[in-house]
Amino acid sequence: MLAHRLIDKALKTAQGAQATVQRAESTKVSFENDKLKFVKSTQRTTINVKVVVNGKIGSSHTSDECDADGVVARALEAAAFGSPAHFEFPGPSDGRPVRVYDEAVLGVTREAMVQIGREMMTVVKDYNPDILVSAGINKGVRQTEFANSSGAAYQTQSTSFGVGVHGQWVRGTDILLAGHAFGWKKRDVDYGAIADRAVALFRMAQDTASIETGTFPVIFSPEALEVLVLALRLGFNGKSVFLGASPLAEKLGQKIADARFSLTDDPLIDYASRSSRWDAEGVPRQVTPLIENGVVKNFLYDLDTAGRAGTRTTGHGVGCSPTNLVVKTGDTSWQDMVADTKTGLVVYDVLGLGQGNPISGEFSVNLQLAYKIEDGRIVGRVKDVMLAGNTYDALNNIVAVGDQAEWAGDSLLAPPIQISDLNVVAR
Amino acid sequence: MRQRLEEALRAANADYTEIRVEQVDSSWVHFKGRELDSVGSAKTSGGIVRALVRGGWGYAAFNDLDGLDNRVRQACESARLVGGVEQSRLAEVSPVVDRVSVALDEDFRHVPLSEKKTVIEEYNEIILGYHDKIETSHVAYSDRFRKVWFANSEGTFIEDERPDASLVLSATARDGDNVQQGFETVAGKAGFVIARGHHQKARAAARRAVDLLSAPPVAGGKYTVVINPKLAGVFAHEAFGHLSESDFLYENDRMKEIMVLGKRLGSDKLSIVDDGSIDGLRGTQKYDDEGVPTRKNELIKDGILVGRLHSRETAAKMGEHPTGNARAVGYRYEPIVRMTNTYIDSGDTPFEDMIRDIDLGLYALDMVGGQTAMEMFTFSAAYGYMIRNGEIAELVRDVVLTGNVFETMMHIDLVGDTLVFPPAGGGCGKGGQSPLPVGLGGPHVRILDVVVGGR
Ligand SMILES: [Zn+2]
Repeated sequence: MLAHRLIDKALKTAQGAQATVQRAESTKVSFENDKLKFVKSTQRTTINVKVVVNGKIGSSHTSDECDADGVVARALEAAAFGSPAHFEFPGPSDGRPVRVYDEAVLGVTREAMVQIGREMMTVVKDYNPDILVSAGINKGVRQTEFANSSGAAYQTQSTSFGVGVHGQWVRGTDILLAGHAFGWKKRDVDYGAIADRAVALFRMAQDTASIETGTFPVIFSPEALEVLVLALRLGFNGKSVFLGASPLAEKLGQKIADARFSLTDDPLIDYASRSSRWDAEGVPRQVTPLIENGVVKNFLYDLDTAGRAGTRTTGHGVGCSPTNLVVKTGDTSWQDMVADTKTGLVVYDVLGLGQGNPISGEFSVNLQLAYKIEDGRIVGRVKDVMLAGNTYDALNNIVAVGDQAEWAGDSLLAPPIQISDLNVVAR
Repeated sequence: MRQRLEEALRAANADYTEIRVEQVDSSWVHFKGRELDSVGSAKTSGGIVRALVRGGWGYAAFNDLDGLDNRVRQACESARLVGGVEQSRLAEVSPVVDRVSVALDEDFRHVPLSEKKTVIEEYNEIILGYHDKIETSHVAYSDRFRKVWFANSEGTFIEDERPDASLVLSATARDGDNVQQGFETVAGKAGFVIARGHHQKARAAARRAVDLLSAPPVAGGKYTVVINPKLAGVFAHEAFGHLSESDFLYENDRMKEIMVLGKRLGSDKLSIVDDGSIDGLRGTQKYDDEGVPTRKNELIKDGILVGRLHSRETAAKMGEHPTGNARAVGYRYEPIVRMTNTYIDSGDTPFEDMIRDIDLGLYALDMVGGQTAMEMFTFSAAYGYMIRNGEIAELVRDVVLTGNVFETMMHIDLVGDTLVFPPAGGGCGKGGQSPLPVGLGGPHVRILDVVVGGR
């Protein structure tokens, strides 16, 4: 195994070492503007080496399997004045198995991928031929070798498969963009349902509605919930907590949200796109409750940050970032949520997320795809409207939590959530 | 390398084939708080083959150079699958054989990591020691030297060198739950010298973070807004520039109607230019990633749409000339239509005359992010000042500007008299190819009736 050879080379000088070798192949089929545009194949090699010399860390990477001497030498050079290591490389550990490989993905031909794209496009075109459609179909397979100087070693194989369809509908100077996508590690993706979802979003936007500046209740669909979740992704990062950049830094054990709000990091969901048995430091993945009934439970740590903060790694190496985030479902059906709203908004997509100072929880986004509710009914799409607020205020102003969760993007499994009294700025 | 690429091209069975191979040397020094977060250097290499068969594209990207002939064959097979029904063509260009090399002041490839660390650490110390409200810092230096070989089946062979170095100085201040950031960036097609001597900027970043702690969020509403040159560059790039990228127009009849040449799109004060040939700017290259020479392209002249940006494919489709704007962020990617250095051209109004007659307005500075979806844009200024009774008043935070680009361009009523290209970092993201180094510039610009998000 190349990873072992890299470790052996490094240990001639270093006291500790870790190596990861990844080899991946992927295929992408892309439709643009109603047409098949290209088929692309990608072969990728990534080799990462981390060493500890006299208590200091150095790292490097390369794309060339013949550059074993070079990558080790560069890591050793950096370690001469690198940051102090606050950890020891972990020994072998089995972890909990999770399914990340689906043989069926390998058998999908380029022709079959083209066919999936054509079928999704047809669904949208059948609804309205004026919508200009794009679609993408991806598949991939990856082998990972990992080893460290404490005897941990594993080899894993994972697959990925994803599809998406998006449309652009221009009426006069009005341009409407909508679509839907989903990807995970399994071949089994209901692309018909994804195309149907895209069509439903266009159908609801046939009429436009206006809303005046003011405060209104807002329903975040699972796709739009990232507006609120983004600050949590950043805020639960153990490194930000340790450095004091996270507003949650001193909130462990405190209630920061409505008791109906619970959030968990779960890397052990079979076939989910961020699932894996070990993290990039060879630490077994585990389920980590972040918020339980509104109370802060844990932060996410990798080895070095945990060492600095005097705690234990949660298997989030390297970088302390979340894997799959799961928001607990509540007890309100989608229908009731809409029906119980006198005047308000449903948001599906926003523009400008993550700008400004996202870790503070502040958001100020343009509503790219949102609908107005009047007297319990969705009456049309709203345009040129901004939504502003703060995640931490919003999570204390929850009106209702939906009773069904859906995958939004690739790494958030969440129900819709309604927030009261958000600031809406209209033109 | 030339011989190797030309041999591989002979293995192709396509109407057009190109191979781009790159070797990338990079290094970085990142401080987060007191300690070094990461330091190191890396070498990667790889490439991409593009093949066109009966109007269909096949691409094959790779790290492993040994299998080049196979990758050429793979791209041709994929192209064959796409070709036939769909029709992509390339505009004619003259084949070029050239070797572009750069001479850097303090070539960063020869500066030891230890020296880079020493310089960067000084900035980090300044930020952390600035004030007791400074909670943490993020000071990140990185450099990349891309050596690019490009060959196509029309006889073009180009060897190009593309250095890029950047420094981000970021301070986080905290007062209870209130967390604010201040930052400064420097970036350019330059040697390590570009990272030296920024002690003042480090102090400025720290001071801004602390000052923003006591600044109120801007009250949402409609204002007359004066944007500074950095934001003017962001506006030229984000709000308008992406609309002039022809890959978004060429197969979209309705957008073509909106973007018809000769149409008035802005007030007569507004001129916007994209120019990939300005010496020393981040978006500058002698050739784009299809081997087409870069040049000055006027997009809006006195409010009238006069030009747009092309690859060879979009130019052929629209019956116009290639403009040298086909760019790829790295060896894994096919070139797509991208901006280079984009700016609003200078006008004739001094800054003082812009704010003199504003009773209540906003002066918005620098940027922390920008995004567009067709004609809608939002961008976030790093900070702003209210303008009251013709004078700059209190500092405000959370300044997010949004609107419809066509309406906003008509609302530009004054353009400043001094064009600057701030050496800012960051880059453009499009089609998953991010961050592409681009240049941004402009004078101060005044816009009426801008929607400002806020609470
Ligand atoms: Zn851009």
